[in-house]
Amino acid sequence: MSEDHHDTGGSTQLEERALVDALVARLPEWLGDQRWFAGKGRTLRATRAIRSTVLHDGEPELLHLVVAVEHDGGEERYQLLVGLRRVLPEYLEHGRMTAVGDRVAYDATFDPDLCGHLLELIDADAETEGLRFVAEPGVELETGLTSRPVGAEQSNTSIVFGQQYILKLFRKVSPGVSPDLELHRALREVGCTHIAVPLGSIEGELDGDPVTYGMLQEFLPNAAEGWQMATTSVRDLMAEADLHADEVGGDFASEAFRLGEAVAAVHADLARALGTEAVGADVVRAAAEDMRRRLVSVVADVPELEPHAPALRAVFDRLAAEATATDVQRIHGDLHLGQTLRTVAGWVVIDFEGEPATEMALRVERMSPLRDVAGMLRSFDYAGYHLLAGQGPDSQLEYRAGEWSARNRDAFCDGYASVTADPRRQPLLLRALELDKAVYEVAYEARHRPSWLPIPLASIARIADAAAEETP
Amino acid sequence: MTGPTPDDLSTVPHTGEAHTADGHLVEPHAEDFAHARPAAADPDWYKRAVFYEVLVRAFKDSNGDGTGDLRGLTEQLDYIQWLGVDCLWLPPFYASPLRDGGYDISDFRAVLPEFGTVDDFVRLLDEAHKRGIRVITDLVLNHTSDAHPWFQESRSDPEGPYGDFYVWNDNDQKYSDARIIFVDTESSNWTYDPVRGQFYWHRFFSHQPDLNFENPEVQESMVDVIRFWLDLGIDGFRLDAVPYLFEEEGTNCENLPRTHEFLKRLRKTVDDEFPGRVLLAEANQWPADVVEYFGDPTVGGDECHMAFHFPLMPRIFMAVRRESRFPISEILAQTPEIPAGAQWGIFLRNHDELTLEMVTDDERDYMYTEYAKDPRMKANIGIRRRLAPLLENDRNQQELFTALLLSLPGSPVLYYGDEIGMGDNIWLGDRDGVRTPMQWTPDRNAGFSHTDPGRLYLPVIMDPIYGYQAISVEAQQNSTASLLHWTRRMIEIRKRHAAFALGTFDELQSSNPSVLAYVREHEAGGTPDRVICVNNLSRFPQPVQLDLSAYAGHTPVELTGGTPFPKIGDLPYLLTLPGHGFYWFQITPPTEDDA
Repeated sequence: MSEDHHDTGGSTQLEERALVDALVARLPEWLGDQRWFAGKGRTLRATRAIRSTVLHDGEPELLHLVVAVEHDGGEERYQLLVGLRRVLPEYLEHGRMTAVGDRVAYDATFDPDLCGHLLELIDADAETEGLRFVAEPGVELETGLTSRPVGAEQSNTSIVFGQQYILKLFRKVSPGVSPDLELHRALREVGCTHIAVPLGSIEGELDGDPVTYGMLQEFLPNAAEGWQMATTSVRDLMAEADLHADEVGGDFASEAFRLGEAVAAVHADLARALGTEAVGADVVRAAAEDMRRRLVSVVADVPELEPHAPALRAVFDRLAAEATATDVQRIHGDLHLGQTLRTVAGWVVIDFEGEPATEMALRVERMSPLRDVAGMLRSFDYAGYHLLAGQGPDSQLEYRAGEWSARNRDAFCDGYASVTADPRRQPLLLRALELDKAVYEVAYEARHRPSWLPIPLASIARIADAAAEETP
Repeated sequence: MTGPTPDDLSTVPHTGEAHTADGHLVEPHAEDFAHARPAAADPDWYKRAVFYEVLVRAFKDSNGDGTGDLRGLTEQLDYIQWLGVDCLWLPPFYASPLRDGGYDISDFRAVLPEFGTVDDFVRLLDEAHKRGIRVITDLVLNHTSDAHPWFQESRSDPEGPYGDFYVWNDNDQKYSDARIIFVDTESSNWTYDPVRGQFYWHRFFSHQPDLNFENPEVQESMVDVIRFWLDLGIDGFRLDAVPYLFEEEGTNCENLPRTHEFLKRLRKTVDDEFPGRVLLAEANQWPADVVEYFGDPTVGGDECHMAFHFPLMPRIFMAVRRESRFPISEILAQTPEIPAGAQWGIFLRNHDELTLEMVTDDERDYMYTEYAKDPRMKANIGIRRRLAPLLENDRNQQELFTALLLSLPGSPVLYYGDEIGMGDNIWLGDRDGVRTPMQWTPDRNAGFSHTDPGRLYLPVIMDPIYGYQAISVEAQQNSTASLLHWTRRMIEIRKRHAAFALGTFDELQSSNPSVLAYVREHEAGGTPDRVICVNNLSRFPQPVQLDLSAYAGHTPVELTGGTPFPKIGDLPYLLTLPGHGFYWFQITPPTEDDA
């Protein structure tokens, strides 16, 4: 086991331990500047190495490190790839961590020379000190490609190799196989065409639990994010003086339809690969109870939600009262336009990690696929209205935003329904899920982006009004 | 229903002046005419050429009869040379009853009298070659006019030498899987001929019977037609309606293997007897099917040298209207590699409607809504408009479209008049709206003809925006800021960089869905010529970050002004583009000074 490697003797190991200790001692300052570090603003109590492995010896050297960071909010574990050089060239300067002895330690994800070793290790199915580099069955990799890190991500670091592969390194290490890897593997096995095909992984164990350190996938060059595509269309509509959403050249409905098809196909493939299960009304009632609880807690924090609380409660109550059995399965868990990519071959869904803020145990639960649909519908609403955020009221633009949102939400559901069951056939559940998501958004916007708060609030008002009209 | 054999061919050599002893028609030979001087030898010329489609009828009237003619066109060759055009493409100028714009040929070896004579054509060829300009023309292999003497012989004498020249049948049930192409005028691919008492096969109009290529004599006769014009000096043919030559029960009668066999034979004839002349396939099919018409890739192609890339054009329009590069990216990603000796022909507009056969039903509805707001703008399955009115006369968009045409893979084909932003007249019948006289000057009849305006074959455009008083060659030649001068400069830049014509095409990764960026690269003599094109398909200004790390240390030099941009580093390269803006850069390697 890797934890034992310090005791295997030999001067190299001794040197390595000294080096790791020296490095870890100086980490807190550097960690605080990393976008993926979740403990920002916390008081760090201690930082210690959990394990370390030299992946490539020599000059430069590549070190794989897992550190535990203890702060006033608890303990978190992070994966680091550290490069060591006697002289740090200018192009790596922005990755500098600290000097250790006569060498400089730096973030190795910036170093094409060192990243290339990761690809070679995966290609060779290498195992070193409990770190397993695994190529997916039947995959042969092209090595020797230049690499570059891609733009800042919230919780991971991704490295692109040539135009072929992308390696996602999970920075925060949690026990359990990453749902991202698990679902990608399952989808590859059933031949899903709406994913970036998984090609390999970096895995291991920590404290007896399996952990996922990284996932290698095919890189989709020249793809555009769904959010960008959608907002391009919205800009086009807003710039027209007198045309409706279905009349402008930038109409997005055909893309939304195809996106619906893609999401439905992914759901069908997930069901096929990992099964479905019928759950009773009690499970739905429990979900409704969760929604009510979340509402109470958000209303306490965000007074702007208060006026809408009765209407929201009415919807959740009705879900509990009229609850029926429903099918659940593995789903994406955090689906929105930003998790979709338009490629030249069609739409692809990415990042099956689930909602990163929730616990791993919840992330691997089976849930209604309508939860993903609700996420997409909310995202269309955001796309439609986001340009109005922070502007004065303009009833004409609001009308158009509403038109755009309604048209593309419908098109998405039409596309979804052309592949599998129409989500609109469970209107009560879908509406409740959407409102629950909007309540979550209210909390998020109030904390991080107050000028966008009116977006979920307005959506809640619209959906709840429509619900009230239907209630006898 | 038959058009008469035009009597006015009586003063010139023509087919059917007499019969030979065995009952064949006597046809003119190339030896009966003078021959043009040859164009300068250059086996790859078609891969680099800028083509210009011009309708003889529409360009210049030399004799004041209200119709453009070959002599008129010859008079304007200096303009064509000035513009930078390398090759003229002339739609058919053969003898014809003109029931399908001359594609209904009634004599393959005579010129339509109102256009002039074979001698006039040879003079045009000779003058063009003198200026370094080549000339290709359309040849319809698939069918003839029902006025062609071959058909007249075939219907009246089933047992004679022409009896088997066309596809005859006792009923109209054969080949029922073949679609009807002109859905808005024809109800069947068969028409009954009361003279012969049988049905004849026609994939297009009922007055255009299909030739029977299963008859070796038909094949031989068509090869001889090609020899006739190549002997006179013509530089190649655009082979019209090429997928339909053969029929076979149980198939859709398109792209059949025997059609390809015949094309291989034709190509061999050209290569053996007339090297340097080209064949261009008009096959309105998906690129994956069209590549079949280039022939065997292991020998660099052994059928047509060129083929039109049809689906690209409507997708350029769709992409700009949707402000999304995907319609273009998709079709280029679906376009297969072509043989080493082959080249695509690409265009924005031509004499036909903006073809929408190569788009899905959804996309067709979309294109109609966006680009054919008046129902009269629609024709068959397409839109009949010129480039400028399609783009609502927006100069920025015209420039963006032309920049795409000149930089995407393939040899560009300009349509006469689009270089000055000419308009159309949707109130004229059929596709005539985009075939009005070329606007040379603000004078009477736009300087096209001296005739009485009422005698013109079609009225000149007279509206206040696109009329000849507002838009003419003369006015635009006098202003260096004009679209005409701009187009000429861009053609000139294109010609300075072999990468545009011969280079590989790779789309550059761009995070912005509204920005289409690609690199064209060609290596000659050890020095790579690299050009990067960045196009903003949105009407709004856009930023884009391009991954140019493969060229780290290189400097992009903007091609219209020669301005060096900041050196490329390891980080994504940031550019900002104005609405509908574009950049062409040459990527120049680091020099000694940079080191």
